[in-house]
Amino acid sequence: MPLSSRNFKWVQIAMLVFAAAWIAGTAWLATPGEGGRSPSPRAGFPAPAFTLTNLEGDPINLSDYQGKVVLLNFWAAWCPPCKAEMPAFEALQQAYQGDDLVILAVNTTYQDDLSAAQAFVDENNLSFPVLLDMDGKVSNAYQILAMPSTFFIDRDGIIQQVIIGGPMSETLIQTQVRKLLAEVP
Amino acid sequence: MLPILQIGPLAIQTPGLILLLGLWFGLTLAEKLAQIDRRVDPNAIYNLALTALVAGVLGARLFYAARYPDIFLKDPVSLISPNTAMLDAFGGLVTGVLAALIYGQRRKLPLWPVLDALTPALSVLLITVGLAHFASGDAFGIPARLPWSIRLWGEYRHPTQLYETLLAAGIAVLVWPRRHAEQPAGLRFLTFVALGAFARIVVESFRADSTLIFGSLRSAQVIAWGLLAFSMQLIASRLKQQPTAQIPEDKSP
Repeated sequence: MPLSSRNFKWVQIAMLVFAAAWIAGTAWLATPGEGGRSPSPRAGFPAPAFTLTNLEGDPINLSDYQGKVVLLNFWAAWCPPCKAEMPAFEALQQAYQGDDLVILAVNTTYQDDLSAAQAFVDENNLSFPVLLDMDGKVSNAYQILAMPSTFFIDRDGIIQQVIIGGPMSETLIQTQVRKLLAEVP
Repeated sequence: MLPILQIGPLAIQTPGLILLLGLWFGLTLAEKLAQIDRRVDPNAIYNLALTALVAGVLGARLFYAARYPDIFLKDPVSLISPNTAMLDAFGGLVTGVLAALIYGQRRKLPLWPVLDALTPALSVLLITVGLAHFASGDAFGIPARLPWSIRLWGEYRHPTQLYETLLAAGIAVLVWPRRHAEQPAGLRFLTFVALGAFARIVVESFRADSTLIFGSLRSAQVIAWGLLAFSMQLIASRLKQQPTAQIPEDKSP
């Protein structure tokens, strides 16, 4: 492009003035604010609320754990990587006992064998709540496309990290949890 | 939106795949164009980019591990885990740029012609960043009911990912090397930076995930304006320079 340095001076001034005016104008016209952050299964958004029953038949609400860090995992007994990461969750549960950490393992019961899931939980002595998604509504709300899927939710109920696929290494799980626990409530 | 490609037991992260393809395609093109342009050694371009990339990934992992030394010391194998959640973007950028600078110094590469030669790769990469955002649903727009709105995260929104892809494509066309074009070294790269910053200022206005400073100013726009001013000042000074000579064609059989 044939551009002399004298012509360019005017292009330079025009572009900088226009850009500054655009920034100021759009800041004044359209403040982003919340930007329509209704609950969605992605980082930066409030985690969609749900109520599910655990293996003992008691109802568990996600909102019961407001103020705590929640590790929300979706799994099935037919999924080998899901089962492979469960011992790491159990180790985490033991290591962070007394801390504000809650592990919720949602079994996608609508497409799993409940007795196989129950047997797996018993065999591995899993001490954290295992919830049953009987009709698939919660899995749908979290747009579960692949298993396992894990959501790291902060104390304010905001999803901070989504990990799709697995098994996750203990290091990954621990660093993510440590980061969220370190945030002041 | 297609964040995951499920092929049998494999869950492939589509955004990452798009970026990798963009990087490979961009670098291959840059190498070919450098052969035609004959201002810098095409191999040096490829090696420089590869050095920066490898160092960047290593740095990103090491910076992340440095935040949790006790956890990584217990399980050092995690240092080579392919999981992208265990990367530190800032650390990656710093080590990548440093490695490129060191490589350039040692090989005595001329700064501006090298940046010019890398510009086609960067332009392609910028387009694929837009497409990757579209696949993941990141960098999403503010809610709006327009004929071209897309439904994303529970709302009809500005398709900001498509805006950035289209603008990136426009930038690529504008800065694409032309045969016989004589211009001072660095002009192509600096034009790319200036236009990229300008595009970011425009697109950011429609994004819903902006970080605000001083009340309602979007910080990304303020940084982009600074980059625009700086790159345009450099363009002004480069315009006073003579075009770089081509490396004479190798006549040996």
